[in-house]
Amino acid sequence: MARTLSMKDAINEALDQEMGRDPTVVVLGEDIVGGTGSPGEDDAWGGAMGVTKGLIHKHPGQLIDTPLSESAYIGAAIGAATCGLRPVAELMFVDFMGVCLDQIFNQAAKFRYMFGGKAETPVVIRATCGAGFRAAAQHSQMLTPIFTHIPGLKVVCPSNAYDTKGLLIQSIRDNDPVIFLEHKNLYDRETDVPEESYAIPFGEASIAREGTDVTIVTYGMMVPYSLEASETLKREGIDVEVIDLRTLSPIDLDTVFESVEMTGRLVCVDEANPRCSIASDVAAAVAQEAFGSLKGPVAMVTAPHAPVPFSSALEDLYIPSPERIADGVRQTMGERSS
Amino acid sequence: MRAVGIIANPVSARDIRRIVSHAGNLPINDRANIVLRLLTGLAAADVSDVVVMPENGGIRTQLMRTIERERRMGTARLPAVTYLDMPVTSTYLDSAAAARRMADMDVGAIVVLGGDGTHRVVASSCGQTPIAGVSTGTNNAFPEFREPTITGLAVGLATSGLVPADIALALNKRLVVTVNGRHEIALVDAAVVAERYVGARAIWKTESFRDLFATFGEADGIGMSSLVGLTDPLDRTTPQGRRIRLAPAGTAPRTLAFPVAPGLIGRIGILSVETMAPDVPCRPSVTSGSIALDGERELTFGEADDVSIRLETDAFRTVCVSDCMAFAARHGLLVHQSSSPCHEGEPR
Amino acid sequence: MNNPFPLSREGLLTAYRRMRTIREFEERLHVEFATGDIAGFVHLYAGEEAAGVGIMMHLEDHDRIASTHRGHGHCIAKGVDVKAMMAEIYGKATGACAGKGGSMHIADLSRGMMGANGILGAGAPLICGAGLAAQKLGHDGVGITFFGDGASNQGTVLESMNLAAIWNLPVIFVVENNGYAESTSVDYAVASDSYVDRAAGFGMPGITVDGTDFFAVYEAAGEVIRRAREGGGPSLLECKMIRFYGHFEGDAQTYRAPGENEANRQHRDCLKIFTGKILEAGVVETGELAVIDSEVADLIEDALEGAKAAPLPSAAELTTDVYVTY
Repeated sequence: MARTLSMKDAINEALDQEMGRDPTVVVLGEDIVGGTGSPGEDDAWGGAMGVTKGLIHKHPGQLIDTPLSESAYIGAAIGAATCGLRPVAELMFVDFMGVCLDQIFNQAAKFRYMFGGKAETPVVIRATCGAGFRAAAQHSQMLTPIFTHIPGLKVVCPSNAYDTKGLLIQSIRDNDPVIFLEHKNLYDRETDVPEESYAIPFGEASIAREGTDVTIVTYGMMVPYSLEASETLKREGIDVEVIDLRTLSPIDLDTVFESVEMTGRLVCVDEANPRCSIASDVAAAVAQEAFGSLKGPVAMVTAPHAPVPFSSALEDLYIPSPERIADGVRQTMGERSS
Repeated sequence: MRAVGIIANPVSARDIRRIVSHAGNLPINDRANIVLRLLTGLAAADVSDVVVMPENGGIRTQLMRTIERERRMGTARLPAVTYLDMPVTSTYLDSAAAARRMADMDVGAIVVLGGDGTHRVVASSCGQTPIAGVSTGTNNAFPEFREPTITGLAVGLATSGLVPADIALALNKRLVVTVNGRHEIALVDAAVVAERYVGARAIWKTESFRDLFATFGEADGIGMSSLVGLTDPLDRTTPQGRRIRLAPAGTAPRTLAFPVAPGLIGRIGILSVETMAPDVPCRPSVTSGSIALDGERELTFGEADDVSIRLETDAFRTVCVSDCMAFAARHGLLVHQSSSPCHEGEPR
Repeated sequence: MNNPFPLSREGLLTAYRRMRTIREFEERLHVEFATGDIAGFVHLYAGEEAAGVGIMMHLEDHDRIASTHRGHGHCIAKGVDVKAMMAEIYGKATGACAGKGGSMHIADLSRGMMGANGILGAGAPLICGAGLAAQKLGHDGVGITFFGDGASNQGTVLESMNLAAIWNLPVIFVVENNGYAESTSVDYAVASDSYVDRAAGFGMPGITVDGTDFFAVYEAAGEVIRRAREGGGPSLLECKMIRFYGHFEGDAQTYRAPGENEANRQHRDCLKIFTGKILEAGVVETGELAVIDSEVADLIEDALEGAKAAPLPSAAELTTDVYVTY
């Protein structure tokens, strides 16, 4: 039964289905119910972006509003995960990870290894990410590389509603800590989403567009932008393959290598800052494993090495646009930029 | 002018009764503020030197920060504050050692911040040096509730001799508990418990109480001595004590509800209420158990031990704050004559 | 014989055995560390045994603890296998964490021991999670987080006290106040020196006890744990205690007063205080304690020999246990 759902509603449905399936799944975060303890209505917000709206009525006792105290409640979610719950903690913006990072990278990420394989930490930390909301430097970042650098964390950043539902369900069922990053500008985009529950395995990239001339490797918001660029390039006779990594840790490099072996050209597109980014990581991996297949230098299209600016004039320049992505592709094809 | 000693216990009001009966905890900052208010009163009565017991519980840190800040700002009018040079063990031994040293230094009086337990320790070590209590403990049957500024003023007036000793100082009763020649004292009460266990010291379970010996008991008092106040009240000066034989609630002819501790009403059986004559040793009703002195379990005894409880009168001295202030009012001790006198009703 | 204590004779002997085991374990480590055979950072719990054991005598496996960098004592008191601990400290494959954790990360979740922790104050949020899990799963388990006077200043601890209070979690915050944050005095570093005051700031009750007095700790812990189990919510227990050794092995301890360590060992040794009381009351006999001493000495000797003889982890272990699936 074909049905379209926004990414936001796909998240809501995944949480709904998982909380219904497993009573140990609890969702906690700031204002995820909203209005707790206030004189007005219950479920006043349903999350800062309204993602968890309505769930409290279906699963009373499984959603908990937290104080603005990220170290404490993210840490509590992690502790609870080692004690029999499967918490999904919502962090309003990934930018707030700084205040609770110790709990994520020194605690959750390390328990399994540090305790000799005897600990499981099935926690999901959801956070919004990405620029384009005119939210300025502390509410707009794409911090994926910070998390992919840490062994023990799994990192997911989906590009569409269908993947979001399946990957979130997989994240909740996974026994490792998962950082689940949701691009704010994708929240209202709709795709076909099956009503039934389904899980998408980690470490399997999807080929968002098949092509033969050049490979774009990307994730998140940059997937629709790359697809848009590909349509432009198609009119110029360039046939682009777009690989959506979907999960950044684990990362499906085999699909990348296979594609590059076919096309011989690679453009890495990343909304993160360029140094030590997903883009530079993929470029390095291809240089190591598929160098012989390359017909020319790898191109990277990323944000500049600068904080996210506020002014729309600057933010629009900051975010890699379909035009810049197309330019990157043209560069690898040996053509002059338009 | 003789110096005044201050012993401020940083760990009074910190025991298990916070958990079992909502007892209050006086914050350390407030204890430092109490000392500052005391100092203000002492300074107003021209006390120039104060010696203080050192402790590591935070009062000293807060106090010295404030004094130094006010000195820098030029707003302080406080006596010189000196800390005793003595090791800090963070136990009751500190209060005892400080009291001994202050007595040796011949201070005019020792002001004690604590509850009944702290006062007991100081009174057992300070000899004839008068003490003045400021209640900062859990059970405060012995120290009266009073604004410490006034206590400071009264102690200053007594120390300077402006209020004569026969008015400023009162003599107090105490209980001497002896176990095989070891003597301990209680200022208010000694309770015999049929359990030989001394854990966190504070008492709050009443089932195993068998005897209460008390020097006084007020009907509106708190703690074990309220049993006296609620059955046969006794004031602080009458030269007698009370002994009450106790039993578990419901097993005696009458069962009494009484405030065991702040926030805790207990029920206990009353077998008899008797008068204790001074200097006559009494024996506990049970052959083994422990004895709580002023609310804290201190001693245990068994069948082989020789135990006695005896009332002593005129045992130690306290500064009688209300009498000091009344005398000061009558004699205008706090009146300072202006250099250009103005008379009532006459415009300047 | 009339037993005046709140524990049975067997309970007293168990408590003694645990405290003695910790003491022996740490004293031996102190000696062995000096030989250079033990790598890394080792922080000893000797002198603080009465606190860990006094509290954990009330706990079962479904009760959780989050420990500190000074975690050996907590592990032993919570029932973690001593031989596996020793092997872990030697970095051996047979260690409690297969040699991947070391002294600062010994854990055994099956015994409710959520891990020693190299990050000060990090256990406080985690234990809130344990408390939340107990609440949601509907069992009467409690969570206890230990932290020192040093870590008491971490934001995580203060945030967690707030969280535990608003959620009424079955959590106990235990301040092991040994007077020194590494080398820095509590007098200097803690603005309000009373932890009970801090607890009060979060609307939770607090108690201060003499942490060298097993019975004082045992009784107070019994009350706060009972309160938490029965739904009464969090509380704070400050144990004032002493550290026999330095912050870490190799610490010259020049920050201490002359004679401080000797005086502590002489007057504030929690084991001496404990044995003094139980022997004086006549509940146990010297001979019984001597038997335990000898059994404990054998156990630690076995653990040491076993650890020294055990194999090192294989090279393949370098990258195992890092993801469930990858």
